[in-house]
Order: sequence, then C-alpha cells, then structure tokens
Amino acid sequence: MIWIAIRMLTGDPQKFFGLVFGIAFSTLLITQQLTIFVNLLERGASGVYNVSSADVWVMDPVSRTTDVAYAMPSTALDKVRGVPGVEWAVPHIRANASVRTKDGDLEGVAVIGVDDATLIGLPKNMIEGSVDVLSQPDSVIIDDVGTTRMFPDASPIGERLELNDQRAVIRGIADAIPSFTSTVVLYTKYSNALNFVPGTRNRLSFVLVGKADGLTSQELVDRIEAETGLRARTREQFARDGVDFIIENTGIPLNFGITVALGFIVGVAIVGLTFSLFIRDNIKQFGALKAIGVTNGTIRKMVAAQAGLVGLIGYGLGVLGTVGFIYAFSANPTFKGFYIPWQIPLISLVAVTLILALTGWLALRNVLKTEPASVFR
Amino acid sequence: MAFNFRDLSFTRQILPVIAVLGLVIAVFFILSGQPDRELSEPDREPPRAPEALANEARVAGSGVVEPSSEVVQVGSALSGLVTGLFVEPGDRVSEGQTLFTVDARQARAQLREAEAAVREAQAAIAEARSAQATASSQLALYRNVSDPAAVSRSEVIRAEGEASAAAERLRLASARYEAAQARAASARTEIGRLTITAPIAGEILAVNIRKGEYVSTMGGGGAQPFIEMGQTQPMHVRIDIDEEQAPRLALGEPATVSPRGAAGQQVKATFVRAEPLVVPKRSLTNSAAERVDVRVLQVIYELPASATGDGGIFRVGQQVDAYIPAKKGQ
Repeated sequence: MIWIAIRMLTGDPQKFFGLVFGIAFSTLLITQQLTIFVNLLERGASGVYNVSSADVWVMDPVSRTTDVAYAMPSTALDKVRGVPGVEWAVPHIRANASVRTKDGDLEGVAVIGVDDATLIGLPKNMIEGSVDVLSQPDSVIIDDVGTTRMFPDASPIGERLELNDQRAVIRGIADAIPSFTSTVVLYTKYSNALNFVPGTRNRLSFVLVGKADGLTSQELVDRIEAETGLRARTREQFARDGVDFIIENTGIPLNFGITVALGFIVGVAIVGLTFSLFIRDNIKQFGALKAIGVTNGTIRKMVAAQAGLVGLIGYGLGVLGTVGFIYAFSANPTFKGFYIPWQIPLISLVAVTLILALTGWLALRNVLKTEPASVFR
Repeated sequence: MAFNFRDLSFTRQILPVIAVLGLVIAVFFILSGQPDRELSEPDREPPRAPEALANEARVAGSGVVEPSSEVVQVGSALSGLVTGLFVEPGDRVSEGQTLFTVDARQARAQLREAEAAVREAQAAIAEARSAQATASSQLALYRNVSDPAAVSRSEVIRAEGEASAAAERLRLASARYEAAQARAASARTEIGRLTITAPIAGEILAVNIRKGEYVSTMGGGGAQPFIEMGQTQPMHVRIDIDEEQAPRLALGEPATVSPRGAAGQQVKATFVRAEPLVVPKRSLTNSAAERVDVRVLQVIYELPASATGDGGIFRVGQQVDAYIPAKKGQ
C-alpha cells in the first residue's frame, strides 16, 4: 500500500520535483542563512575563543567585550594573582593602532600583546613560523586573514611595518578566527605592544586567569570579583558577551530572522500548493482505494509516506547544498572558520517537518472527506 | 499509469539514495567541522602561586632584583679624558680600589710648577738667611766699636736697617715657601681626585666608559652613569605591592620569588624591610608625560645565596614575580 503511495507520488515527475525543490530550497535557505547568521554572531566571540588556555578573563568593571575594553592599572595583575584559587594570571593588552605599510598606506590594525614570558594569549596554531619568533626584537605575528588583506599576493614574512614610529617585523602567521570587523591582527609581546600603541596611562586591557584544580570557573569569577572589585567573566560568559554585543548593536538578527522566515514561507507556499494540487489530482485514486476498502488510517499513512519521501530527498539535498556552500567558500577569508553548528540542521529538520505536516494535513482534509462513490461520478 | 522505467528508478531509488548519502556526508562534515574550543594547558609555565599558598590568602607583587647595597652609580668629581680603566663588568673590588683615572697631566704640571716654586722659595730662604747673617754681623761689628767717633751715626742706622730688612726678607721667603708647598699639596689633592676609587666593596655591574672618552662631572640629568656597582652578596629583590593590597601583607613572612621566564624555579626569600615611603608605581610606558595614580609599597627581601652568583638564576635588574602570605583572617 505504501509502495502504491510512492508510485502515486513519483507518477507525476513535475509535481514530484516541484515538491522536492520546494523542500530543498527552504531547507537550504533556512540552514544556510542560519549558519551564516550564527557564524557572523560568533565572530563577536572569536577574540575569546582564539585564546585557548584562559579559564577566566578579568577586566575593568566597564569593559564589555574583547574589543570594547577600558584599560586597568598594571597592578591589577598582582591583585588578581593574590586571589586564592588563581593558578596563574598573565597580562593581556588589546588595542587599536594605525600601521604604515611599505607603500605608505595607512591600515587600522588590532595589536594584541601577550605575556612576555609565557606567550599565553596567542592562538593555538600557527600557519607559518613558530611562536618563538616573538623573542626576536620588534617581532609581530600577523593573523592569516590579515595577511590576505594587507599582503594579497606576497608572503608577509619579513615585511617591515611602522607602528607608532616604531619598527615592527612580521615573522609569523597565526591561524586565528577573524573578528567581526575582520581587522588585521598583529600579535606581539606585551612589552612591545606598549611601544606599538600610542599610550595612555593605563594599558592593561585584560588579565587572563587559569583556575586552580578543585573549583569551578564560576566560583573563581565570584571570588575575583569580591576580592578585587574588577569584573571577571568565564570564557563562555565572555564569548556570550561578545555575541550579545553584536546582537544589541547591529541589525544582523533582524535581517537574518527575516530571511529565515522567508525561507519558511517559501517552503510552505511552494510545498503547500504543490502538495494540495497533487492530492487533489489524485483524489480519484484515493476514492478508488477507499472504494476497495482502504481505511482512512491507511490513507493517512500513505500520505505520510509520500510526505516523508519528499521530505527526506528535499532535506537531504538542501543540507547537502549548505554543506557544499560552506565547503566551497571555506577557502575564502571572509568565511574563514565558518562551520555548521549541529543544532541548525535539526532546526531546519523541524521546520521541514512542520511544513510537510501542515501542508499534508491541509491536503488530507479533502481526501478524508472524499466519498468512495466520488470515483464513479 | 504507464511509467518510463528509467524515470521510476531515478525518482524512487536513485534520488532517495543520493539524499541519504548527502545526509551522511553532511553529518560527517558537520561533526568534523565543529570548531576546536577545547581549553589547553599553556605551553610555557606561567608563574603560579606556591603550593603552600595555593588556596590561602596571599598577596602577589612584581619586582626587580637589586644588590643589597642598591646600585651605586660611581661618579667623577672632575671632568676630563679617561686615561686608565682598571675594572671590567663582573669584577669584584674592595673598598678604595682604583676604578678608573682621568687625565691628570694638567694637575701634574701644576704640581711640578708648585714644586719648582717650593725649591725657589727654599733658595730664597737660603739667600735671605745669608743676607741676614751678613747684615747682623755687620751690625754687631758697628755695635762693638766703643769709640763713637770711629763710626758715623748714619752708618749704624744703615746697618740696623739692613739687618731688619734681611729678617723681613727671610720671613717673606718662608711665607712664599709655605704658599708654594700649599700649592703643591693642592695639586696632589687634584691628582688624587682624578683617580676614582670604589666607594664600597662589591661587584662591578656595568662599565659605560672607555679609555679616551670624556667624562664630565655628574649631574647632567639622565646621563648614563660611568660605572655601576653594588654589593651582590647577598642580593635583594624589591617587590612592588599595590597600596590597596599593602594592609593585607604579612610583613616578616618569607616571599616565594621566581624570575620572569623561569616561573618553575621558585625560591624562598627572607624579609629584610619595607620601605617607609610609598612611591608611585613605575610603569615603563615610554610616555613623556607619565601620569601616575597607583602607588606601591616597596618591600625588600633577601635572596638565598644559592640562587644568586654565577650559577644562580637571579641577576641584578631582572624582573621577578613574588607571592607573599597575607595576614591571617584577611
């Protein structure tokens, strides 16, 4: 009986492909747009995720994200070190500077100064060179996306830059997720960064903290806040702060929300129309089936099987399309680090199920009302 | 319902298989493409609190290694060319040992001049003495003549005058002699001042002059000191403690100190003293108009002898991280 339903479904290739296209298209639209949306938002947290060894970030009470930070006096580091439960703490500076390239162009860069002795705060992996190059004088490490922006054709290794009238030599390329604004990032030692960034009195943007065994990050955060009066955030909280900052300050959620809603509406419209047309066209067949004694329950199952097949093929192709899209653009620096969170295909699966359930239910109403006699009319 | 066989198999078999395959690929791609957000241990050892203080109240500070005498910037009292340099960085010197000499030719010439003047004055004294002797014997001769008519009154007056003039000349010559001697002594002092000696026993830390260079007297604001030295046995560390943390500090307790870059090598340093003056924190920001609102209490600790010296890990001027216990119940 199910097989008959499938034959019925594929009997008219135009309608069948129409259905599959509708589902595939809305799956693609929902999945792909949600993926880009999530990844764009997570760009706000890339600064946090690029630092792989800090459990807790400590900052001035008014600092909000990695890029919106108010500097603290340098003794804040010692204050944090004095808190029990802090295994280690290192200074971290993040600042914006203007760099003059060899051609004389001016480019805004983010300078990130990491602890001189331990280099905590650098991204986990390097594309070229090793982190030890920072021990050479005036060294900086550029991030890979910055490389494509500042040196589109040539290798940046050995290039000399001018930062705040100081010489800086690029000696390595780091594998880092770019920030929301895709600013070129230069990593250097804390002491160098102080020279590279024209300075105000206080320079310390963050204190990165590793927690001692036996207590949670949240307990340590509470303890640091109580003892030092500074603001402390766990890694996850601070990543979340970066995302929230983008949500609050840009129109991205609204724009992508509209696109996702459009994907859903297009899916409902195309699939709904085609499905009900298809069912209406086959109403005689359903009538005949009823006439030979097929129950409404079996007919429900048949329509469910039809919807299931359309859903499977459409959803499969849609997700494959998204994967293909992300894969094809993975080499593009704009999409560097983009990934498909596993929740998103599940969301689109729910959406597809909803679309099919809705349209199937609407179409079924007619079938169930059909009298077996209608086949003879 | 007549269907083309190929169409059937495409829609009913091939498409679902493609869809399922696509889903499998997608699942694989999605699961393998999840970002790496694992926390990792730092590659290099960051400074950690010592185990005894790991979960205790404590105060952390950073500081600099210094000689127990603090750094003595040896100056020169006189300016001139350096003619001799007798120490190298790392030399141990005793108090009073010559460090370097400044060109003393002019002072020596003055000394010779003064010595010549001394000799001249000595000759003058001798000459004055003989003149005095002559004059006084002449006067004695006239005085001994009993017949007043034999010697005219004026002759006697002249002889008396010559005798007293000779005595005056002798006094003058003696005074000149003393003056010349004083000049010679002053030239010798000058020569002495052109030899710069170690003010204390200790180690030479830096030598910033070379033979032939011109040294001017100190006080020229920001100029490099000629020689820096200090007593490096024992060595001290000067730890800066934020003034807000200072009241919590348990003064007198030993500190756990590690040098920058070798955080694993912690040593216990014994308390020496806390500086009575709370000073502005020195932040090396290279800014011309440095403004400071953080003040620090400086606490001095003595490093153990095993951690200093030739085989030690602490050197003068090195930055260190320190952990000190806080007062109980704070």
